[in-house]
Amino acid sequence: MKKYLYTVICILCSVALFAGNPGFGDRRYTISGAVEYGYNKTWLHHANFDIQSLMPINPYFEMEAKLQFSTANVHSGALQLRPKFELPVGELFIETDLYFRAVTRNQLTDYTASIGVGYRMDYVSVLVGSYSRILDDWNRDWHTTDNYVVEPFNLLYRLEVFCRPQNNNWNLSFVFTDIDDYQMERMWQPLFAIKAYYDVAEHWRLNFGVQCKPTGMFHLNATFYGANLRAGFGYRF
Amino acid sequence: MKKISNIKALSVCTLYSVFCTLVSCVNDDTTLDMKGMFSPNGETVNTRFEQSMAYDDARGEIHLDMKADDYMIYVCTDSHITKKTHKNLDYFMAQYRAETAPKLAIHLGDLIDAQKNMECADSIIHYAGQTSADTLFLTPGNHDIYFKQWTIFRELFGTGIYWFDTNNGDKKLDLFICLDTAEGTLGTRQLKWLKDLLAQKSKEGYRRIIVFTHTHFWKQDDSQGHTSNLSMEETYELTSLFAQYGVQFVWSGHQHARQSVIYKGVNYLVLDATKDEESGQAYMTVDAGNSMIYHYWNYPAE
Repeated sequence: MKKYLYTVICILCSVALFAGNPGFGDRRYTISGAVEYGYNKTWLHHANFDIQSLMPINPYFEMEAKLQFSTANVHSGALQLRPKFELPVGELFIETDLYFRAVTRNQLTDYTASIGVGYRMDYVSVLVGSYSRILDDWNRDWHTTDNYVVEPFNLLYRLEVFCRPQNNNWNLSFVFTDIDDYQMERMWQPLFAIKAYYDVAEHWRLNFGVQCKPTGMFHLNATFYGANLRAGFGYRF
Repeated sequence: MKKISNIKALSVCTLYSVFCTLVSCVNDDTTLDMKGMFSPNGETVNTRFEQSMAYDDARGEIHLDMKADDYMIYVCTDSHITKKTHKNLDYFMAQYRAETAPKLAIHLGDLIDAQKNMECADSIIHYAGQTSADTLFLTPGNHDIYFKQWTIFRELFGTGIYWFDTNNGDKKLDLFICLDTAEGTLGTRQLKWLKDLLAQKSKEGYRRIIVFTHTHFWKQDDSQGHTSNLSMEETYELTSLFAQYGVQFVWSGHQHARQSVIYKGVNYLVLDATKDEESGQAYMTVDAGNSMIYHYWNYPAE
């Protein structure tokens, strides 16, 4: 079953890569940078520096590359491939995400690969899928198997509601998810975020974001765990 | 108009999912308290840490003299008792009391299912209270503290964060550390306490260090669909800390299904539930000699 699923996904990705009709929304080549203030109960106060590049290859296929460096000594990278298909209302897309987090402070690497199916309209974007994770210790002895842990199945979800249509020159959105640009949490560990952008000039966009991570929501005893404040700008070609 | 209908339908679906999750968490003895999903439902983990430390300081250290290098550890978890149904916990306690070898027992949390059952649990456990003469140790689970039950847990059992050790005369045997992960995080103070404790105790020549807590660390299969873990940041930090200081075993519950993972030389073991009327109920006994020998025991059928 999995084999067939992967085959279908590969075909869809290939078709999307070479197709050429107009797609949904205003997606342009963009390079952006941001700084973040972060706090959580494990890493305490820290700062992050983000670089992202959005590369719409054609209206049916886009890529996104992301890097984050953190003073908490945790550095992340992600590569997203996103085939998309225009529908009479909105846009269907498939999102595959390869994610890498070098947790230098704990001498380990967190590898994640995900695939999800999403649907995007003017005011709403939804993504549902699954991801697999390998947590790999750096002090690796190839003769033993106890230096990595595999978590083969996790549910991923993202619901984003926008105040304005997605090609507007400003927007504010509310996000409920277990993934973001630089982390993939387990399914019962949701993240709440508010994101905003404002196009100050034809090529320049300001980005803002606030993210909150509670724990214990599904222990029926939720408490604050961490938060991030993000501010940056993007150059849109 | 169509857009508004789509948004409406999506919102209704989301709200319905949240409602179903909440309803699945309650039974006759509870009242639906949605507040717990969005804010602390009682004391936060930092407050519980302070209260547990105050109790531990007043009580003094616990050193159990086993009078031999070999002794028995009885471990169970997730009994979820109510006043009406506590057959398996009764059985576990009976087996434990009948054990003739030097022994101690550990319950890995979710002693009760919902509010108004803590006194019943206390009467079954009989000699809880964490004084130095006791040999039954508890860690709080999420069911033990939500709906503001930490107060009563604390009145009956005193503490949720502590350590004790076993000795044979002057010879140190094993160190046991109990962590409170009942709300899915250790919090800042407990984490610092754990780091300091491990740094100090790892130099004292214990045969092994065992950590026990309620929330499990890994999410490896579908059996864990309904239970949450610690955050990834905390998972990285704690698993590295355990490896750094030579912790050999981490025992937990919460997911109601057995699991064994070895990572960085630390053996993470999750136990089956003790809850009545649930498939695959079992408890564990450990022959703690120079090796640790596990035995799993199914609870008798009706």
